[in-house]
Amino acid sequence: MSMLALATDAFGGKGGIAQYNRDFFGALAASGSLSSIVVVPRHADDAPDVPAGIEQRPPRAGRLSYVLAALRETLARPCDVVFCGHLYMAPLALLLARLRRAKLVIQMHGIEAWQRPSTLRRQAVEAADLVLCVSRHTRAAVLGWASIVPERVIVVPDTVSDTFTPGDGSALRTAWGLQGKKVLLTVGRTSAAERYKGHDRVIQALPRLVAQGHDAVYVVLGDGDDRERLAALAAREGVADRARFMGAVNFETLANAYRMADVFVMPSTGEGFGIVFLEAMASGTPVIGLAVAGASDALADGELGVATTEAEFCIELEGALSRPKPDAKALAAALKRRFGYNQFRTRAAVALNRLMEPA
Amino acid sequence: MCGLNGIFAYHPAAGAPKESELLATRDAMQARGPDGSGAWWTEDRRCGLGHRRLAILDLSDRASQPMTSADGSLVVAFNGEIYNFPDLRAELEAQGVQFYTTCDTEALLHLYARDGAAMVGQLRGMFAFAIWDSRRRGLFLARDSYGIKPLYTADDGWTFRFASQVKALIAGGHVSRDPEPAGIVGYHLFGSVPEPFTLHREVRALPAGHTQWVDAGGPREPKPFVSIAALLAEGARQPSPAADLPHRVRAGVLDSVRAHLLADVEVGVFLSAGVDSGAMLGLMRDAGQRDIRAITLGFAEFRGSAEDEVPLATRVARHYAAGHIVRTVSEREFRQDLPAILDAMDQPSIDGVNTWFVAKAAKEAGLKVALSGLGGDELLAGYPSFVDIPRWKRRYGPFAAIPGLGWAVRRAIRALAPGMVRSRPKGLGLLEHSDTWAGAYLLRRGLFLPAELTQILDAEIAREGLRRLQLKRRLNANLLPDPGSDVARVCALESAFYMQNQLLRDADWAGMAHGLEIRVPLVDTRLLQTMAPVMGTLVPGAGKAALAKAPATPLPAEIVNRAKTGFTVPTGAWMANVAGSPAGTVTAKSKGLVSRNWSHVVLSALTSPRIAAPLQ
Repeated sequence: MSMLALATDAFGGKGGIAQYNRDFFGALAASGSLSSIVVVPRHADDAPDVPAGIEQRPPRAGRLSYVLAALRETLARPCDVVFCGHLYMAPLALLLARLRRAKLVIQMHGIEAWQRPSTLRRQAVEAADLVLCVSRHTRAAVLGWASIVPERVIVVPDTVSDTFTPGDGSALRTAWGLQGKKVLLTVGRTSAAERYKGHDRVIQALPRLVAQGHDAVYVVLGDGDDRERLAALAAREGVADRARFMGAVNFETLANAYRMADVFVMPSTGEGFGIVFLEAMASGTPVIGLAVAGASDALADGELGVATTEAEFCIELEGALSRPKPDAKALAAALKRRFGYNQFRTRAAVALNRLMEPA
Repeated sequence: MCGLNGIFAYHPAAGAPKESELLATRDAMQARGPDGSGAWWTEDRRCGLGHRRLAILDLSDRASQPMTSADGSLVVAFNGEIYNFPDLRAELEAQGVQFYTTCDTEALLHLYARDGAAMVGQLRGMFAFAIWDSRRRGLFLARDSYGIKPLYTADDGWTFRFASQVKALIAGGHVSRDPEPAGIVGYHLFGSVPEPFTLHREVRALPAGHTQWVDAGGPREPKPFVSIAALLAEGARQPSPAADLPHRVRAGVLDSVRAHLLADVEVGVFLSAGVDSGAMLGLMRDAGQRDIRAITLGFAEFRGSAEDEVPLATRVARHYAAGHIVRTVSEREFRQDLPAILDAMDQPSIDGVNTWFVAKAAKEAGLKVALSGLGGDELLAGYPSFVDIPRWKRRYGPFAAIPGLGWAVRRAIRALAPGMVRSRPKGLGLLEHSDTWAGAYLLRRGLFLPAELTQILDAEIAREGLRRLQLKRRLNANLLPDPGSDVARVCALESAFYMQNQLLRDADWAGMAHGLEIRVPLVDTRLLQTMAPVMGTLVPGAGKAALAKAPATPLPAEIVNRAKTGFTVPTGAWMANVAGSPAGTVTAKSKGLVSRNWSHVVLSALTSPRIAAPLQ
């Protein structure tokens, strides 16, 4: 059985969607159930590292050239499954699937699926054999606008790489001059378009934490055009020295930042899932977020991390800082039982099996 | 009548279900099962089953549920009755199976162990059940072919939940209440919520005649195992002459009534002045039941009038030497009970008040089980729809098939004679909808027509609801395969739509509220199979005439001659009063409009309980 995958980006791409696609295609290739997986991306680095069992075609950024490339791939070889990695490609994916009488699988990530899409996209989703959603919230949103049998819409949550593990982050703490501080960490773009991530809320909570006797420092990893505004906000709140914008960092620094933080915090209202919560918990650091949208899933409804409301956020954050850090290995193990790569691989196999079951 | 529920956290990301949720859902169904309750969990506590019991077969504790197979590999929670249980038991015992109870529940375990999912083909009766299969680590759900017993499911993508009632699922606290526009629109069109929709997007009915499998891969699409259309089509392929009708009615209905008497408690009967219930009583006698108590509703308003069923019902009761209980209901009692009625109503319904009171009377009489003549009009072509729908389709269908004609006429009349649009909203629909069976049925049964919805509902909900409801496609699906004749087509539509969504749901919630199991011998697949070969020959009145003669002592002639009214209550006037229409203005012509107002009252009460307060 062979699969054609339409993707914005996968191997040689950046960001959560590319990561998810790599994980998903890798899991399918490892399952051995597919004889071939051909990925047609719109964007990719020059020489991406593609695992065995997967072929990735050169990227086609232009719309027309992308459509032609996808069409050529569809006609050039057997195709049993068309995988559509993003809602905006769904009409094209439906056309290709119909051409080859192939099964159609559409992947939903987050915000793109929360509003009613155009009629063409909606109809493509309604014609899909299987719709994969990263969170229950996204699934509910899809079922809200698509007239589709609910059993065809399933959840395959994000997973976390095995490279995030508990460990000693004290060297980074020393390097950044944070010894003896209570470190709050957020990892995420500081972009004006993504203010929903909630950096503001954390900065505004800092004065209160300090007043309560916490020698707290807020470390922000990630770049974006909103950084100066956030720094100005910290200055206005009188906590300029306690907000550290460290920009984008390499993987090793990121892994150690997760380890050395006392609490990972991201009071976001717009997460499709919130993979950074998983990375923090896999590193043994407790997390706090809002029980809003996909974040409820990453926080496992409060069973893995604190899932609070905007109103209760400050109180919960203070509580999280007051508690001793939990057993890092136990937290990482609990996280992997729900969202580990093994679980992800099983869910990917489940999705594939569901597709092949007789109606 | 029992209540069942369950929670299965099938996805590894899901937290273990809470005992408190299982019990909250289970005990929201207390009225369904006052005689006992149970809960069961898998060892890893990822799946739990709950049950509330109304004990009818094998009253001992050994028959309590959830019931586990002797080897521990299967566990069942079941609501309903398997009427061919004695035959199934004999067959299984002959094959070496050992029974530990005298309860039909146990047969489900043995049959599943032997036949797997194919077991449902063996069952005659009304049922909704769930079996946990520990070898395959999955849940098997099934619901009877007519949907007599309810079963609702909710899947959030991580955890699968099910229960006998929508309100019970919501009471568990983990099922979304987000509205389902298709349910809201369907309710406004028909006065009941068309399955599989409910008022809530996350909650769906397992369709009648379907099974569903849920394992680590999540819930699979429900699979059909039988359909009314298929049974009718099969009969139409081997037609019998009209002369066979009396014999088939007599043999088929007697066999069904006999099967429906299976119980370890007394079985009573609802008795009106109509043919269906009278024949039930007569055939109970023929089936060998000695002491029979029959229950009739009477109304002070009707005393001495032609609408008073009591004198004729009394005559029928005497005719068959039955004990007769006449329960008089007043508007005052209706108003007193109204909050309880709306509370017991699982999904909004514009009917069921009559069933509420007759079930209440049965409970007062100490009955747990009663037979009802429900389904006679569907099976024996008793409704005007059997004449109207084929005629409309023939007469107006060719015009309705002309694209745009109906729409244009409606627009023109709206401009020229707006009063006519208001007073005869459905008449105008003939030129728009009568070209298909589904369209003609919509005209017959609809309180509103799709084009009117925007006047009473938010335009977005109306548009979205109609799109999701896919009404005509859904209605036409009840005609696949083709039942073979006009009568059989209307029978399939009425059985799978009005009877299933309205009458059977009302019988369920109204009976359930009083811990009463309502049995419906005229809603039986084996009876339908007997009748299917003569369906094409049925002419108006012939079916009911044959039913009246089915008992060894036929029904008195005046019953047959009197127009069928069923259990009528003066609800038209009562509802009009509650809905704010001027008293005494209810005429036959305005009944439809009263239903429209009443439907608003009910929906308001069910979606916002506080609104019910001013009604008292």
